[in-house]
Amino acid sequence: MTTTAKKWLERIHALPLEGVTKIMNVCGGHERSITMAGLRKVLPDEIELVPGPGCPVCICPEEDVFEAIQLALNEDIILIAFGDMLRVPVNVSKTRARTLEQAKAAGADIRPIATPREAVDIAAQNPDKAVVFFAAGFETTTAPVASMLVQGVPKNLFILLSGRLTWPAVAMLLDSGQAAFQTLIAPGHVATVMGPEEWQFVPEEHKMPAAVAGFSPESLLAAMYSVLRQRVEGKAFLDNCYPELVRAGGNPTAQAQLKTSMDVVDANWRGIGVIPQSGFALSEAYAQHNARKQFPSYAEDARKRAGEMPPGCDCAKVVLGQIYPDQCRLYANACVPRNPVGPCMVSDEGACRIWWSGGVRKNAVS
Amino acid sequence: MCLGIPMQVKSIDQYQAICEAKGIERDVSLFMLQDEDIRPGDFVVVHVGYAIQKISQQEAQSAWEVYDQMLAAEDALAEELVDAPGA
Repeated sequence: MTTTAKKWLERIHALPLEGVTKIMNVCGGHERSITMAGLRKVLPDEIELVPGPGCPVCICPEEDVFEAIQLALNEDIILIAFGDMLRVPVNVSKTRARTLEQAKAAGADIRPIATPREAVDIAAQNPDKAVVFFAAGFETTTAPVASMLVQGVPKNLFILLSGRLTWPAVAMLLDSGQAAFQTLIAPGHVATVMGPEEWQFVPEEHKMPAAVAGFSPESLLAAMYSVLRQRVEGKAFLDNCYPELVRAGGNPTAQAQLKTSMDVVDANWRGIGVIPQSGFALSEAYAQHNARKQFPSYAEDARKRAGEMPPGCDCAKVVLGQIYPDQCRLYANACVPRNPVGPCMVSDEGACRIWWSGGVRKNAVS
Repeated sequence: MCLGIPMQVKSIDQYQAICEAKGIERDVSLFMLQDEDIRPGDFVVVHVGYAIQKISQQEAQSAWEVYDQMLAAEDALAEELVDAPGA
C-alpha cells in the first residue's frame, strides 16, 4: 500500500464511528480494486463494503442473451459481442444452447470483440452478410457504441442494444426505502462520461453522503473517508475524489452522441425487473441499424416475463447488495468460474467472480 | 468493463489515433474527444478502444504506478491460489 493510501486509512481509523456503516459501490472495477487491494481486511470493523449493481453483464436481461443466441443459430448472420457475454447462461433445457459459447460450438458464427471499431471492420469485411452486434454495457461502454453509430457504420451492421444507466438502479434502491447501505461511492468512469451531476440526487433527495471515486486504493480510500466523515458530521454532499478525470459536465461530446443515436427508456434488469428510464434504445433515426426492428424476435412472452436468474441462484440479491457473494447457496459449491451458474460468476465485473479471484472460497451458508 | 486505461497518443489520422501504453500499441478512436485539442504526445484514458477523456502526463504516470501495483498484487494472489483447494 502506498504512503498516500496509508494516510487515508489512518484518517479513516481516526474517525469516531458509531455502529456499522455500509458503503455501497456500483462498479465492478471498484469492487475488483477493493478486493484485490484487500481493503476489507484493513478497514475498521464498523465499515462494511457492499458491492451493488455494478456489473452490466450480470443484469443484462436473460431474454436479450436468449435473443442473441437464437439470432446466431437461426439467422444467416455473424453475431459479435464483448467477450464477457459469451459465457452467460440462460434457462433452457440442457439439449439446447445455453450460452453464446455453446451456440458457437454448435456452428453459429459468433465472434468476441474488444472494441466497437471491430464491429465496423467485421461488417466492412463481410458486405454480403448481416452482422449483429450484441452490445451490453453501462454508460461508459454504451457511449462508444453511440459514437460508432454517429461516425457512420456499414449498412449491414445491426445493433442488439442492451445498454443501461447506472444511477436509476441506485435511485430505485433508495426510493424503495429498503436500501441496505448508508453511504455511496459513485462510479468514476461513468461520471467521466456522463458528469458527476447525475449522482447529485443521492445527497439532495436522500440525504445520503456520496463521493465519486477512481480505481486506485488511494482514490477509493479518499472517497470512503469523505462519505464516512460526512456521516460522522451529519452532512451529505457529493464529493469528487477522482478530479483528474471527472470534470463538471463530463464529456459533452460523448453525451451529444448518445442523445443523437439513442433514447432513454424503461428497461428490464435481470433478476430485478423493470427500472424506469434506465435503458438505452436506438432512436428512430437509427432504426435501419436496430436489430430488434430488422430481425424476428425469438424471445417468447413467457421468457420476457420471467427474465430471472437460474434456479437456486442468488445473483439478483448479490447485485442489489442484499447479500454478499459467499452468502449465495451456490457460491463455491455448484457455482464456480469454470462452471458458472449465475452471471455474477461469469463476468470479470461480477461480484462473485471477483470474490473468487480474490481467494474467497468458503460458502458462508454451507 | 467500465475500466479505462491511460495511453499516450503516438500519431493521429483524423479521428483515429495510435496510442501506446507499456510498449503496446492500439488503434484508438478520438471521435468522443473531437472537440478537444488532442496532439501526438498527449495522454488519454481509453475504454473499449475509445478515448473518453484527456489527462495530464503526471496523472497518466501516477495511474500506471497504481495499476502496476494492482497487477502485481493480482499476480501474486493468482500464484497463491493455483494449488489452493477448490481452485
